[in-house]
Amino acid sequence: MTSKKIAASALLALAGIACVAGACWIHIKAMAAQVLINSAWDRARSDGQPAKPWPWADTTPVARITFHDRRTLVVLEGSSGRNLAFAPSHDPASVLPGESGNSVISAHRDTHFRELEHARVGDRIRVERADGSTLLFKVSSVTIVDSRKTRVALESDTPRLTLVTCYPFDAIQPGGPLRFVVTADLEAGAGYTPPRRVARAAALPRPVPVMGF
Amino acid sequence: MKTDAMPLRHRVANWLALLALLLVGVVWPPVFGATAESNEPGDARAGSLFLCAMPCDGRPLQALRQSTHIRAQVTGNVARVHVTQKFENPGDQWVEGLYVFPLSTTAAVDELQMLVGERRIRGEIKRKEEARETFERAKSEGRRASLVDQERPDMFTTSVANIAPHSSITVEIAYLDTIPFRDGRYALSLPLSITPRYTPGVSLDPADLNVFHSAREGRVIAVASPNATPERVTSEVQHAEIEVDLMPGFPLQTVQSLNHAVTTETVGAGNRIRLRSPTVPADRDFELVWTPVVAPDTHAAAFAERFGDETYVLVMLMPPQMTAERVYRREVLFIIDTSGSMSGPSIRQAREALRLGLQRLQPTDTFNIIRFSNDASSLFPISQPAVGVNRQTAAEFIDSLEAQGGTEMRAALNLAFDIPRTPDALRQIVFVTDGSVGNEAELVALIHRRLAGARLFTVGIGSAPNAYFMREAAAAGRGSFTFIPQIEHVSERMADLFRKLENPALVDLQLHWPDGATATLAASPPSDVYAGDPLTVAAKLSTVPRGVLTLTGRSGGGAWTRQLPLQVVADSSGIAKLWARERIGELSRQKKLGGDAAESESQIVSLALKHHLVSEYTSLVAVDETPVRPVGADLQAQQVPTSAPRGSAWAQTTGFAPTATNAPLLLLIGLMCLGFALALRVNYSRLCVNAERHVA
Repeated sequence: MTSKKIAASALLALAGIACVAGACWIHIKAMAAQVLINSAWDRARSDGQPAKPWPWADTTPVARITFHDRRTLVVLEGSSGRNLAFAPSHDPASVLPGESGNSVISAHRDTHFRELEHARVGDRIRVERADGSTLLFKVSSVTIVDSRKTRVALESDTPRLTLVTCYPFDAIQPGGPLRFVVTADLEAGAGYTPPRRVARAAALPRPVPVMGF
Repeated sequence: MKTDAMPLRHRVANWLALLALLLVGVVWPPVFGATAESNEPGDARAGSLFLCAMPCDGRPLQALRQSTHIRAQVTGNVARVHVTQKFENPGDQWVEGLYVFPLSTTAAVDELQMLVGERRIRGEIKRKEEARETFERAKSEGRRASLVDQERPDMFTTSVANIAPHSSITVEIAYLDTIPFRDGRYALSLPLSITPRYTPGVSLDPADLNVFHSAREGRVIAVASPNATPERVTSEVQHAEIEVDLMPGFPLQTVQSLNHAVTTETVGAGNRIRLRSPTVPADRDFELVWTPVVAPDTHAAAFAERFGDETYVLVMLMPPQMTAERVYRREVLFIIDTSGSMSGPSIRQAREALRLGLQRLQPTDTFNIIRFSNDASSLFPISQPAVGVNRQTAAEFIDSLEAQGGTEMRAALNLAFDIPRTPDALRQIVFVTDGSVGNEAELVALIHRRLAGARLFTVGIGSAPNAYFMREAAAAGRGSFTFIPQIEHVSERMADLFRKLENPALVDLQLHWPDGATATLAASPPSDVYAGDPLTVAAKLSTVPRGVLTLTGRSGGGAWTRQLPLQVVADSSGIAKLWARERIGELSRQKKLGGDAAESESQIVSLALKHHLVSEYTSLVAVDETPVRPVGADLQAQQVPTSAPRGSAWAQTTGFAPTATNAPLLLLIGLMCLGFALALRVNYSRLCVNAERHVA
């Protein structure tokens, strides 16, 4: 009887540690990946070549965003679940920030976009692009939408940035339908350098076969 | 190496981070992370331990369901197609349903029937606003009603009001279509999925979501976002049942369904074939292709039908197998769409099409490639001869093309027209795209305005290209069009296209009617008829014609003449309707190219009402007599989404990525486990202490 109880308590403790470690792991991964991606970004900026954050990565950083003047995040291309674990991810169906159209960037509410909760209309979001230009976007709306009934418009006459994360921020369960959507428009004249007229597709490397965690 | 310049502190941080990733990655089983990182939220919800199958508020979703059954009867060159849509309401509330669906761009929709139990209620054709009013009145009075509107030339909507809880309403829509004999084959195309032209992005308060749903009546959708069109696509694959009864009128060599598996059953001596496809995925168009044993090399016919006191004639003709005149030098501009909607299989098809196109060029020809997404750029500033080094550069350029970003077609077309022309060469523009744009009319007008002697050919790519745009752009560009449904068809279809590019088969075509009868043509015949393209002319005649119709033109460097006897066919065989449909299309085209809008509208309305056709200004509405919904019972509006094309950006992603990890959940479960463990432990210690006391 008592030995059974000891076993049960040990098992429970083990499972508990495993779960807590699992939760920590998600956060460690998110933070550690940002360090690597950040330095890949710096490397790319210094020698002009797209750099991979870690040797076996199949994606490259496309932009660096800063909001509230302190939270700086490097954005990866392609909003797959795997990328989202590492960094905010740019939806490949949308344009890159600063180009004419709506650029959509998503990130997890528990990790990278935790602070998006405090976004207010009028806030500034700084975006550094891979071509070296820096743009300033001004938050024009903060809304909550139902993802089952809404999609993000890819078209926009002016450069627009849309940051998306899950809502509510303190929900326990993942997979809910609500999304927290921050829309920001390019501030006219604020360091806006128009996109270069180059074959962007040609400049980007072809993706290598998927490898990763 | 520039990395040497990096401060030591940063390098150490990097190594530590990499180590952390590796270490934890190795020792930690990836199972736990997987639920949060699953690519498909649908799968995660369905299969995962931690995620629920219900939305956040805990109520299961009782969504309106729609199922489609298509029955097509093909007789010779004409198809009669019945589309049956069943709307099932599994919930406890009364529901108003909305469904957006694609149809062939040349479909003449003339029939609507609403099935309520055993009864069939026939729909009436009315002006759009009148039909909407009738529908709304019936809806508010609690009567069952259905309405079919044309949203775009190839996109229709069905609205169904007052579907009782746990019951269904079936709507049957019928249309008439012509089956062209193109490039040596007949093709019946049944579109099943929609490539969204613009994705409606609306910011809405959760409290207003029901308003968004019932937005139909007042078009609140359009107010919420000026770019919104009513299509709502889902990445979940829906299914449709398809039945085809094929009576081609000649022995068949092959029958092939390009995108779906079908079972065939031959009836009689092989002249009648029944195809069944119990349930096919509706994420791509259904394409049935058949070829005759003997290619009708003198394929030409003229059919006449009496409708009231008018005579309608349909002329179908295959152009001669020779070229009109030899063009010695060509300048080929390839325009390739690299927008986000082309991602997946589409861009691979497009690249392959481009490679083949390049191979077919002669060294005397010049060429250039323009790619576009949200901007446009060309490979060369001026078209270059198709020789070794240029071909090599082009091949590398093609390999590097990736699909991403918007669809700025206007920029691409303007760039193409701005590039200086190669002297003494015929400029041909080959436009490779899925056509997922909403501003078709503007683009077609641009092509029309700036063509200046060039020719534009369209190549439609993907599982559900915008067929309307492909046809209209090619017509405005005095060229031809082709579709590449799957990568296997690239070489065959590009070969067809290049046969056409090499030269038009027939030019300066004229029709001479017998007995001096005057004809109103539905649309003026094209100035260039290409090899393999059928020529279809629909005309309304002032008198009953007697004698033969004479066609003249130039082909093979000389005069070309053909005489066709007019065969009078049975009344109500549909020629009048097909004429009216084509005439409406032409009027709408003229209006978009800057004609008198009010005049076009009134002509379209009178034609559509006379021939019982759905058009941009007329709709079909069916209303039941007796009210069924009790007074005071709520009516909830729901829209059934349409399948997004396979492989498209809409099919690969939901509008929103799953942006929550299960870290909080894991933490909660973990802490609870530890809490229990601790409780057990404490309990056990107490037990031990008690036992010791007992012994003492």
